[in-house]
Amino acid sequence: MGKYILKRVAVSVLTLFVLITVVFALVRLMPGDPFSGEKMTPEIRANLEAYYGLDKPLLEQYITYVKNLLRGDFGYSMKYLNRTVNDIIASSFPYSIDLGMRALALSISMGLVFGILSARYRGKKLDFICIVIAILGTSIPDFIMGALLQYFFGIQWGLFPVAQYQGIQYTILPSIALGFYTLAMVSRLMRASMLEVVTQDYIKTAKSDGISNVRIVWKHQIRNAIMPVVTVLGPVVATTLTGTFVIESIFAIPGMGKFYVESVQKLDYSLVLGMTVFYGGFLILANLIVDILYGVIDPRIRLAGK
Amino acid sequence: MKRARKLMALLLAGLMVVGCAACSTPGQSETTAAATGGASGETSGETAGSGETAGEESGGEKIFRYSVTADVSTLDPQKMNDTNGGTLGYHMFEGLTRSIGGEVHPGIAESWDVSDDGLVYTFHLRDAKWSDGEPVTAEQFAYAFRRLVDPATASTFAFIGKPLKNAEEITAGEVAVEELGVKVIDEKTLECTLAFPAPYFLQVLSMSQFAPAREDYVTQYGAEFAGDGEKNVYNGPFMLKEWRQNDRFILEKNPNYWDAENVHLDGAEVIVVADTNTALAMYEQGELDYVVVPTDLMPNYPDAVASPSGACDFIRLNTGSGPLANQNFRLALNYGLNRNEFVLLSTNGYWEAANRFVLPIVGGVSSTYGEEFPYTAFPMDGDQAKAQEYLQAALQELGLSDASEITMEMLTTDSERTKKEAEVLQALLQEALGININITLLPFTERVAREETGDFEMVVSGILPDYPDPISFLESWETDSPYNHMSYSNAEYDALLEKAYADGNAETRFATLFEAEQVLMEDGAIVPLQYRTDGRLLNPAMTDVSYYFCGYTVNFIHADKSV
Repeated sequence: MGKYILKRVAVSVLTLFVLITVVFALVRLMPGDPFSGEKMTPEIRANLEAYYGLDKPLLEQYITYVKNLLRGDFGYSMKYLNRTVNDIIASSFPYSIDLGMRALALSISMGLVFGILSARYRGKKLDFICIVIAILGTSIPDFIMGALLQYFFGIQWGLFPVAQYQGIQYTILPSIALGFYTLAMVSRLMRASMLEVVTQDYIKTAKSDGISNVRIVWKHQIRNAIMPVVTVLGPVVATTLTGTFVIESIFAIPGMGKFYVESVQKLDYSLVLGMTVFYGGFLILANLIVDILYGVIDPRIRLAGK
Repeated sequence: MKRARKLMALLLAGLMVVGCAACSTPGQSETTAAATGGASGETSGETAGSGETAGEESGGEKIFRYSVTADVSTLDPQKMNDTNGGTLGYHMFEGLTRSIGGEVHPGIAESWDVSDDGLVYTFHLRDAKWSDGEPVTAEQFAYAFRRLVDPATASTFAFIGKPLKNAEEITAGEVAVEELGVKVIDEKTLECTLAFPAPYFLQVLSMSQFAPAREDYVTQYGAEFAGDGEKNVYNGPFMLKEWRQNDRFILEKNPNYWDAENVHLDGAEVIVVADTNTALAMYEQGELDYVVVPTDLMPNYPDAVASPSGACDFIRLNTGSGPLANQNFRLALNYGLNRNEFVLLSTNGYWEAANRFVLPIVGGVSSTYGEEFPYTAFPMDGDQAKAQEYLQAALQELGLSDASEITMEMLTTDSERTKKEAEVLQALLQEALGININITLLPFTERVAREETGDFEMVVSGILPDYPDPISFLESWETDSPYNHMSYSNAEYDALLEKAYADGNAETRFATLFEAEQVLMEDGAIVPLQYRTDGRLLNPAMTDVSYYFCGYTVNFIHADKSV
């Protein structure tokens, strides 16, 4: 087991290292530089480049960057002059993770409920309603959903604040907008899975044993049907947490998504790298945990790795 | 397998608990905000609360709330380089002068004397204080001016110091920073020596780049100077209480401001809202007092006050090679374009068609430049007969038989608005002249990078004046200007600008500048397109709020709010 974990950790570190190297190279290959478009004299430009070490050979810059990174130092942003990338992440990530967790909690729990109800009442009105919700959720892009929610619940009916993120009532619309797609997906997956399980022999056996309907649904159907949903949770968490940009923009939430997009547009080298390494590291860590858990749960995976 | 399922279920349950824990904590985001405030965590927690109710329920506090589309790059006065920062700086700092709507008023300097040749300015400072009670001195101005042009500061706005003697040489690293044309006579008297009589010098002194700076704060905070409210001090009408990154700026009335009795607001809250539609919705919900209406929604807001944003768009032509090196061809483009049609199709006519390069509302001798020097370089509706004339002449000179043999690439930024704009231009020019234009959409940075390296034929570009004087527009086309990216060179033009720089007489100077503008237009050096307009909505409870296109966008120094 120890060897298995060690191996997974080694692979993760290697992945992160490759990620850093590739992004470092790619961002430098993009046309332009962080100072493009600013009106300045060539001397000032040279001084700025010297300040950020951009005048040194690329390999030396890379080595310096990795060295600093090992000390946890992402360096100064080139667009936001008084801030380090560490500062920017520390101030914006809490908003993104908060929004992401709310959206996930909402979408997974509601998605499961809808899926189960719609399977239980297959062909009935409730099923129909759930299917409509699921179709809407998968077909309406989140920026439209966000704008619609904002227009009706915020402007027309005044039930929730239009934008910003300063208390529980502010979090509801963005969480729904962000989680709606996942909700729809989870409910469809759960419904299909439930309907498949229902035809299994062990359900028939349970029924013939005279076990109560409620108990069959809870103990046998749901618990078996939930497996496929659990397997997609990894990627779902990833897309939700990285996909907050549009929602953050519509609802004026000071999260990380904006920096992620803007840093690339503005070619803020240190911020692009910082964001990528942070997000990448976050996802790699999540995958590592899942991998290790799989190993703990299922000895076959652990053994196959040998 | 059963164990696996149990664990999975447990995991899922765990996830839900985490999620629900988040749901059931109303103060969650306030805590987050407080945590990000670092050392000042407690204060930011408080302000988060007051922010929610600002101007509504907090006991009649007069807070002016508006939004900006992006966080500012820096609030370090000498390094400020964006419009939003400029507006904040205008309210947080005060220079020797204060320019209000293009009119120069005394600022920290109560009065000033100018030498006959217009080269030496002596400023007499009033008794003013910083927000921490320290006196504002001439030395702090001299320090700030030196800091601005010092290459070690590497301020992207160092160029604005150009009128000061030796400034350019210092920035280029040729002369020591002590040689700058600024001298402290005594604690309240400052003498500035200029490199050339720049009548706009009093205008630029109003900008934050020329605000005084406190060496003690600059040294203490280093790279983080001005990075948050307590990391700088303020000598303007408002002081920065808090800068919540990417979220909001909280300004508070500065009780130590010399004219504090004429400041009626208790503060201001500037919220970062990237989406302009969201900002409009917030305004309609009464969460903002002032908003700029997105251009495509202007038809819905007939009572929005429209005023120029200062931005001027034009097509930059690479005059170095190809058909665009031909003056007749450039003039054919200029006469062929129906500018009225262009603005009608691209912005429903909300932006103003431009047929000259210099924004007419910049300052002139005594009124505006446009009023004093009216000019129609090209008819707004175009002149197809003339366009054909120039086109035929150009084809002959280029040795081509038909206009369709000319294919131009036009670069523009990859956004919905600029794409539409380019498509309209493409259609109008192709139809008028029979040439072919291919549009290439590029990310902003790449467009600009290609523009700066001269790697283009035509590019839809724009300019925002740094100070309200024609020279802020015209300097870009001097042969050796670092901002001349189209290899444009005209000896006559260069000579006229040199003459204007050296001219201390306002009347002859402006006449020379106008001559230069005419040379530029008659050469067809660029294709002027439009002056952008912002439609603005203001809460009727607000009074004495004004707008300007240069240095600041909105002025609320003497504003009041009935609550």
